[in-house]
Amino acid sequence: MKFSLAVYAAPHSSQSAASALRFARALLAEGHEIYRIFFYCDGVQNANSIAAPPQDETDLTGQWQALQREHSLDLVVCIAAAQRRGVLNQREAERLEKPSANLAEGFELAGLGQLTDAVANSERLVTFGGTQ
Amino acid sequence: MKQRTLALCRAAPYGSALAREGLEAVLASAAMEQEIDLLFLGDGVFQLLDHQSPMAIGQKSLRRNLMALPMFGIEQLYVARGSLAQRGLTPEEIQIPGAEITLVDQPGNLIAAYQCVLSF
Repeated sequence: MKFSLAVYAAPHSSQSAASALRFARALLAEGHEIYRIFFYCDGVQNANSIAAPPQDETDLTGQWQALQREHSLDLVVCIAAAQRRGVLNQREAERLEKPSANLAEGFELAGLGQLTDAVANSERLVTFGGTQ
Repeated sequence: MKQRTLALCRAAPYGSALAREGLEAVLASAAMEQEIDLLFLGDGVFQLLDHQSPMAIGQKSLRRNLMALPMFGIEQLYVARGSLAQRGLTPEEIQIPGAEITLVDQPGNLIAAYQCVLSF
């Protein structure tokens, strides 16, 4: 079955983002297809390459990157949500005159239209994080 | 493939960014000519109250996003009757010009009728 995931939660604040990663792994292990993983709201922090968790804690960004490399996943970060929270690629950092870029490799910035597109082209959309 | 989507609005308007970013996602979806309906439930019903003054806490009003819904072709707003009652609100307090508000007694049945549900 063709799935998309919407991730609204940051790593290290709640379990939701880690659950999304584990769910993604489980889907792939079962032979399902992942059309897109869309990071929105605080979920954009999953793509923050300068987060530095202690060594004995899970590096979720690194694990998303590894999964992306292995399965050529489409990891899309909402550009508006990311700008608000300081997750920028080189181009955005220069355009907005910010001192550095921090979007992790393997993630892409794009508009909310990519969420709509994921809804239209997936058989299931599963959301992680948001209202408790 | 065209399909109807239901967006759940469950968050109070200013305590978190979810209400605003949810409405932004809904408007983006409508701008791409997707058919989308909204169901306000839980604390999300507070989004529909008029006469909010979020400037007092340094926030932008959500009202403008809500008023934009009919302009983007979203005219059907569902509101969970139970959520209103639990919060001491009446249907008269939650008008959005240009939108038709339908009170829903069984939100679960409404949700089940949609192929896709976005949850905010």
